[in-house]
This record gives sequence, structure tokens and C-alpha cells, in this order.
Amino acid sequence: MRSKVRRVPEERHLHIALVGNPNSGKTTLFNILTGLRQKVGNYPGVTVERKEGRLRLGDGVVATLLDLPGTYSLYPGSPDEQIATEILLGHASHTPAPDIVICVVDASHLERNLYFVTQIIDRHLPLIIALNMMDVAEQSGIIIDVRSLAHELDAPVVPTVASRGEGIDQLKAAVLTTRTASVRARGWHLPDTVERETEELVGILREAHSLTAPQAFHEAVGLLTAESQDIDHSTRYHREVLAHVKRDHEKLDFLGFDRRSVFVESRYGWIREICTRTVTHRHAAAGWSDRIDRVLTHRRWGVVIFLALMAVIFQAMFSWSIPPMEWIGNMFDRLGDVVAASMPPGDMRDLIVKGAIGGVAAVVTFLPQILALFFFLGLLEDTGYMARAAFIMDRIMNRVGLHGKSFIPLMSSFACAIPGIMATRTIENPRDRLATMLVAPLMSCSARLPVYALMIAAFIPSTRVFGFLSLPALTMTSMYLLGLVMALLVAWIFKKTLLKGSAPAFIIELPPYRVPGVKSIFLLMWERAWAFLKRAGTIILAASIVLWFLASYPKVDGGDAADQLHRSFVGQAGQLIEPVIRPLGFDWKIGVGLVSSLIQREVFVSTMGTIYSIEHGIAGEEATLAERLRSERDAATGLRSYTPLTGICIMVYYVLAMQCFSTIAVMRRETNGWKWPLVQIGYMTGLAYVVTFIVFRTGLALGYGG
Amino acid sequence: MTHQSSLSLLDVPIGTRVRIRQLSSRPEISARLRELGFCENAVVRCVTKGYGNIICEVYNTRIGLNAGLARGILVARFD
Repeated sequence: MRSKVRRVPEERHLHIALVGNPNSGKTTLFNILTGLRQKVGNYPGVTVERKEGRLRLGDGVVATLLDLPGTYSLYPGSPDEQIATEILLGHASHTPAPDIVICVVDASHLERNLYFVTQIIDRHLPLIIALNMMDVAEQSGIIIDVRSLAHELDAPVVPTVASRGEGIDQLKAAVLTTRTASVRARGWHLPDTVERETEELVGILREAHSLTAPQAFHEAVGLLTAESQDIDHSTRYHREVLAHVKRDHEKLDFLGFDRRSVFVESRYGWIREICTRTVTHRHAAAGWSDRIDRVLTHRRWGVVIFLALMAVIFQAMFSWSIPPMEWIGNMFDRLGDVVAASMPPGDMRDLIVKGAIGGVAAVVTFLPQILALFFFLGLLEDTGYMARAAFIMDRIMNRVGLHGKSFIPLMSSFACAIPGIMATRTIENPRDRLATMLVAPLMSCSARLPVYALMIAAFIPSTRVFGFLSLPALTMTSMYLLGLVMALLVAWIFKKTLLKGSAPAFIIELPPYRVPGVKSIFLLMWERAWAFLKRAGTIILAASIVLWFLASYPKVDGGDAADQLHRSFVGQAGQLIEPVIRPLGFDWKIGVGLVSSLIQREVFVSTMGTIYSIEHGIAGEEATLAERLRSERDAATGLRSYTPLTGICIMVYYVLAMQCFSTIAVMRRETNGWKWPLVQIGYMTGLAYVVTFIVFRTGLALGYGG
Repeated sequence: MTHQSSLSLLDVPIGTRVRIRQLSSRPEISARLRELGFCENAVVRCVTKGYGNIICEVYNTRIGLNAGLARGILVARFD
């Protein structure tokens, strides 16, 4: 029974919201529907509040598709869910209410997914159900009668396999033909008394707040299931309404109803009926998933397996990345030679070859390693292992006052802290969320990778330890571990002092294991590579050029290249801050690198590249940057300027220091203020200084400084 | 009232199915649990336990909980 109550506008442009439970394949579907016509901001890979795309539906209809965060319920728990709910219900001032809602449902977990669907139906929103993961359902022996399901829900149901692109055309066709929402009577029933009280409250709400029937019903359910003390503090409703609600609470409690659970149970009652009528099981589900879970989350072996996986990843990042990195390095060298040969000597040539090409080359060389990192993280996430890792880490997280849910944002921060910080939106407890955000930047992000790699190439010999682990790989792993340990330590301190809170509850859904979608991982890597190259082509290029200027002027008559550098703007600035960083074993050249890193951490490498190519005069010399750092000698004493200890101190400083304007910007946005970003800058800078100092002094004392 | 079963989800042997009788955690936690499928009368199967946590299956979905939460979910044998 459809009525024309809620009509979709007949115009040519539609606003469509894509919703669904987490892990239902929503993002894969979004990617397929919008292709590369997405507007995601700078950080793809995580569902951000504004993940928008354009969709051509045919018939000249163009739609804006909004990918809302994964949601379990329209009565929101986490900030993520709050945003999704606000937009769906039309309460968000920044986004119009959607004309059509496409709800992505995981066919292999139909019952639980339908819970959210019933809430959308109650709200009388025009709904299309994308019954996704039909392949997984079929493998598990689950057979769904799609027509029957559509009849039960009174909404179009389109079977899809988003990862293979199946069902997309039918989905688009459904969007074109869906014009109204179902206004059939509610399919799920409450016990008589509860039903009566609810209807009465709906009437009162409609009158007092001028709500439509579905709006009022949604509010009524929220009010009746709320805690009595929350009703007292509510400012959203009129006094008489709240008084009525409190009387309802007393009445229902007195009659022995568990207010909170009766609504949920009634919905699931209906859902069970639907599933009995539409779903058949061909054979009992295989138990292999259980067995894998038991191994991966085993008391002892779980952690061992996890650490082993991490070690393999780091080892692969090192060994496999070397050939492509060398290839890129050679390409840039040749480019530099070609350009140098085709231009007259002079400032212009130096600017392009040493400033621009030298600077950019130094950073872009690390693209293979960064890609490898994203590949493995994507693989872990896609196979479903990440959730199990969070499960294992929960114990450890508990010791510092957090829980396993904080683990996934922290893991993501290994790639970049910005999506990591945004991923904390799924954490319900605001204090836990804040603690996680504050320590996320300590997890060594991919921007630090070029710095570590340069230092290791320059100062760590490639001897083998224990027969198969290389010292460079071990050092790299140690830096990452340092960040991780510090993050946990600082989180612990925060939770003990500023952010004290009750013991967190840990609930996490473990998606079924699946063969990773290599296509979507490669798409992610491509996006990251493109973002990286774009950054290199713009910010880093600009920074390199500016730096070159500052390092080459004012011009010095006579004197050699080293002298020129010493007297330039950059040289003077570096010498100004040198007293502050001397105790850490750093000289003014490193100082320049540190300061320039505030733009992007990897600029350190291009800064060093520019400084040393200027200092050594001729471009295209055989020595690599690493070799030059290593062989740099103090003009006065003739001793090496930089030792392995210096290299390690630089790395330690980079592990801990806050050197990223973009991260600060995101912190400000996510915490709605400057207080916490400033706290973050403060504690991280202090920590970096102190720890580097300790490492340096200890190293000297142990005799490594000479 | 109904018979009080003091058997909690944490005590359930691996592989067995039970029916949820009562959720006795903090209200907001219980609300969350219910929406994920841990509501009264739902059937739950314990998959594995470890690290002070438990993985169980409810409505065909696999969910991990910590021990504290599991202890607050009172269950009865499923027959």
C-alpha cells in the first residue's frame, strides 16, 4: 500500500544517502557507483562525514551520493552514528535531507542488518535495499527469496555483489523508479499496553511539536526507552511532554515491562518472522571460520602471530622496495643531467636542477616503500584480520585504560595520523576518544619513513643479526615500536590524570574472513600514490625552491660552496637555533631540516638534499645523499660531523615530535577548539626533546659518539 | 518473577548455545548490546574465549566482548 505522502522531487538532481551497518560493503558499493567522481577531501580510505560523489543514472538524472558512516541504529551511540542519524533525519544544517536512502544490507547477516532497516522504514524514508554480498551468502548456504523479502519490507530489494560490480545497473534503475516511501502499517508489534502508551505519546508529540506521524513515532520510542534521569535533563521537548513521558516510564516499569528491551525485542520478533518466511539454509555453516578465530585469538599464539606478521611486513617493505627505489633515483639523476646539459650554467640552472629536482627526487624515491605499507595495511583490513588484532590488543589497551577499539585508529596512523584521528569517531566514550586522538601522531606515519630510511641508509651498516634479520630492518622496526610504546605510555598517563574515566566497554563486530579484494586495495594505493605525488609536485617542490633561494642568497664573493651555505639566510637561521639543539647532538644544518619539516615531515629529506647539492657544487655527483651525510666532516677538526648516534637521535626526535600542520588542523576540527591541539604540540615537543637528549647523552657515555 | 539464572555468558562452554535472560550492565551499555542483537530471548553461541575476552555469535553475526560485559549478560541453557 503506497501513498503519495512522501514524494521524491521530480527534478533532475537527486540527493541520495548511502547507509548501512559497518562491514556491509557500503564503501565498495559507493566506489563502484561513483567511480573516480568522488570528493573525499585529502584523506581517502576512511569514511569521512562528507564523502560525496556524483552518479549518472540515465534519463538525464544526476545524483549526489553521500556515503554516511556505518550505523547500527538511528538512536546513535558514537559520534559517527550521530552524524549519520542527523543527516538522515534532516536535522543537519550543513546537509539537506536525502531524497532517497539506499541501505546496504549484508545478505550473509540478514537478521542483524534488518534491525536498522526497520528503523528507516518506520521513519517513512524512501528506501531501496541493496542486498549486498550475495556471493558470501551463497557460499554459506544462505538462500534468500528476494521478491518475498521486498514484499515483506514493502521496499525494492536489489541483490548486489559490489566487489564484482554485479547488480549495479538494477540498483540505478530502482533509484529512477522509486518515488515514494512505503506508508504501510508497522510490521512489528509491541505488547498491547506498550502499543497504547506509545500511540498516545505520539499524538501528544505531534501536537506539541508539530511533527509528522513517523517523526513523532521515532521520538516517542527514543523517549520511552531513555533513562528517567535523562528525561529530566532534556531541553528538546516541552515540559508537559516530558511530564507525560515520566508518567509512562513509571506505568510501564510498574507493569513489569523492561522498557528498554521491549522495543528492540519486538523489532527482532518481526525480523525473525521475515527471515523464517524468506530465508532458507541449504546446509549447516562450515565451522572453519570458528577454528581460524580460535587460532588467531589464542592466548599465546595470537600475539606471536601478530608480531610475526608485523616483522614480515617490515622486512618486505625493506627488501622488496629497493629495486624500484633505485630505479626512481636513477630516473631523477638522468633528468637532472639532461636539464643541466641543456641549460647555461648559472642560477637558473642551479635552481631547477639542485633546488627543484634535487629536492623532489629525494622524497619521491620513497614512494615504493609507502605503497608497500598501504598495500599490507589494506590487506590486513580487507581479510578481516584487523578486527581480530583489535581483539587481541584489547587486553594490552585495557592496561593503559583504553580498549581494543582504539587499536584500529592507531594502526591506521601508521599510514597517516589524519585518517587515524578521524577513525576515532567510532569510539563512544569521549574521553577514550580524546586520549586516542592525542597519541595517534606518535604512531610513526608514512611521512617519517623517508627520514628513517635516509638515516638508516647513511648510518646503519647492513649487517645481519640472528642470521636472517638485517640491522637496518631491525632499526626501522625499533623506531616503529618506540612510537607504539610511547603512545601507550602517554595514553596511560592521560587516562590517569586529565582524562580519568570508567572502565571502557569493549564491543566489536568481527567481520567474516574473506579473500581480499585486490582491486580495491590497488585503488586505494593508487589514490595514495597520487596524493603523495601531488604533494611532492606542489608543496615539496615549492618548499625546495624557496629553500634553494634561502640557501643561495645572499651571495658570497669568493669562498667555496660550503662557505656560501654558511652565510646564506638559511645558514644564519640554522645557526640561530643551533644553541637550542646542540644538547641533542644536532648542528645547524639539521636545525634547518627540522624547521622545514613543519610543513611536511618528509621535507627534511629534500632539505638535506638541497643543502648538500648546493654545498657540493656540482649536480650529478656520484655520491648519494646518504653517502654525503656519512662522509661529512667538520672543517675545523677533520672529524666526522655525523655519527650513527646522530642518525639515531634524529630518528628518535622524528618519532616523537609534532611536525605536521595538517594534523594540528584536523585535531582542531575534531575537538572543536585549540586547547587539545596545543596540548598535543606541547607534550610531543617536550617529549621529543627530553628523550632525544637522554638517548644522545647515554650514547656518548657509552662511547658511541666518537 | 522468572527463575533467576546466575549463569553468565562468560561461564558458557565453547560451542554451546544459550538464550539470553537478562542484561545487567549499565543502561547505555545494555542499550548498545541490545541493538547489536544481544537482546532478551536471543540465542547466542560461544565461539572462543581468550585474553579475558569472548567471541560469540548472535543472529549470525560474530561479535567480540570483554569479560566484564560478558559477565553482565545472564543466560539460560537453550533447549
